[in-house]
Amino acid sequence: MKFIKNHLMFILPLMAILLGIEFYLVFDRTTDSYEKGLKEGYTMLVVAKKPVTLQKLRQLNPHIATLEAIKREQIVSEVAQGVSKQSKKEILAALPYFYNVGLDSYLGTAALEKIKKDLEKDSNIKRVETFGSSYSSAYRLFAFIKFLLKVFIGFMGIVSLFLIIKQMEIWKYAHRERMQVMEIFGAPLMLRAGVLFKVAIFDAFIATLLTSAVFLYVKFVWAAQSGIDLMMQKQDDLFKMTDMAILLGVALLLVIVAVYTVVFSSKGVQE
Amino acid sequence: MSNVISAKNLTLAYDNGRKEIIKNASFNIKKGDFVFITGPSGSGKSTLLKSLYGQLKPKEGNLVVGGRDLASISSRQLQELRTHMGIIFQDYKLINEWTVAKNVVLPLMIAGYSLDVQETQAHRLLKHVKLSEHADKYPLELSGGEQQRVGVARALAKNPVVILADEPTGNLDDYSSNVIWDLMENACQQLETTVLVVTHKIPTIFSLPYRHFIIESKGVYEVH
Repeated sequence: MKFIKNHLMFILPLMAILLGIEFYLVFDRTTDSYEKGLKEGYTMLVVAKKPVTLQKLRQLNPHIATLEAIKREQIVSEVAQGVSKQSKKEILAALPYFYNVGLDSYLGTAALEKIKKDLEKDSNIKRVETFGSSYSSAYRLFAFIKFLLKVFIGFMGIVSLFLIIKQMEIWKYAHRERMQVMEIFGAPLMLRAGVLFKVAIFDAFIATLLTSAVFLYVKFVWAAQSGIDLMMQKQDDLFKMTDMAILLGVALLLVIVAVYTVVFSSKGVQE
Repeated sequence: MSNVISAKNLTLAYDNGRKEIIKNASFNIKKGDFVFITGPSGSGKSTLLKSLYGQLKPKEGNLVVGGRDLASISSRQLQELRTHMGIIFQDYKLINEWTVAKNVVLPLMIAGYSLDVQETQAHRLLKHVKLSEHADKYPLELSGGEQQRVGVARALAKNPVVILADEPTGNLDDYSSNVIWDLMENACQQLETTVLVVTHKIPTIFSLPYRHFIIESKGVYEVH
């Protein structure tokens, strides 16, 4: 019972840190993916009196990345159905030029407003529609949740680290005498700390296995049935199998640092 | 004969050199010497012993053990030097979660001997200290006298150049004490091991010729 308790006291905080890292990785990728989708899907509408070029718009604002003209004939054919050919020609001649303008990155509403102002400085530009409010509100909420999660994970990481250090203190007490005796008889560090390393590495593997099990469950069961398009379509991009190697690496690094801390703080004979 | 231990103007101190325990001590101990170090409580007997196994660095002077100056020894060299020492403590300092046999062969384990050799030596050493039947027991299952015999067996395991014993019979009854003295006398006589014993009282029955140092008023003096 004491044996299991001793291991759990180390495995659980380690798992908390690993789960925090994994959730952070997945959430970061999710927000990145969402952001990319927003950026790719977003265009502003520019209405000009005469045809414009991408180069010209870029001179007005460097964030402009793409320019796609909306076919005027198509607009006329849609809005002027049942009108004579001549009238259509007149409408076409009077119709301004419409463009979908893409940006180089995802920008906030203030930046969009600036682009709008920059473009409207040109007398050739009649109107710029940014659709700012509709597209930013969802992302703002998402970014806020991301920030909260980062704070929570950071806090959880710190608390878990304290728990690990506390458990290390217990280990230090439990193994101190043995390590000191071995040191007196000239045992090298690796031999003195051998048992600790074995226990800690074993615990690191167990913590990684349990965390990976949660990760695999989320990937193959929860995400697949979540009904969230992003999760279901980009399952493999969001939950990468290489994460398990990252988790194992972090777990091993943490336990090696922890063991070295115990070993070096146990030097010297207690009389 | 060559000196195994040599001290010249040795000063030992605690509290970053502020509290001096031994001051300007000079002495030489040769191979095969059996040395008793006595003195009042708190005089610095154990401190001197600690300095001999490198647990306390000299504040001033030289302290050479096995050809190494402990004032300037590196941790790696100290590690190596300690493998040639057998150390016996008043409170035994056995590893309680290890069996008696495993405790005894600790110096062999550190030296990298094979498990077969360790097993054979454990058998031989435990027979020597008359504890063969306790090989698989744990230290806390033994009496104080038996635990100290395990400590002596461990100290003898690798035929050390020097045995340092800190009040080895301090916690034992007369019978157990005599057994311990016999074992150390044998080691000194048969293996020519240098033995340094810190004790309150020199045993009344002791057959070997020995040297006697007293620590008093921070000085180390030999009694002739």
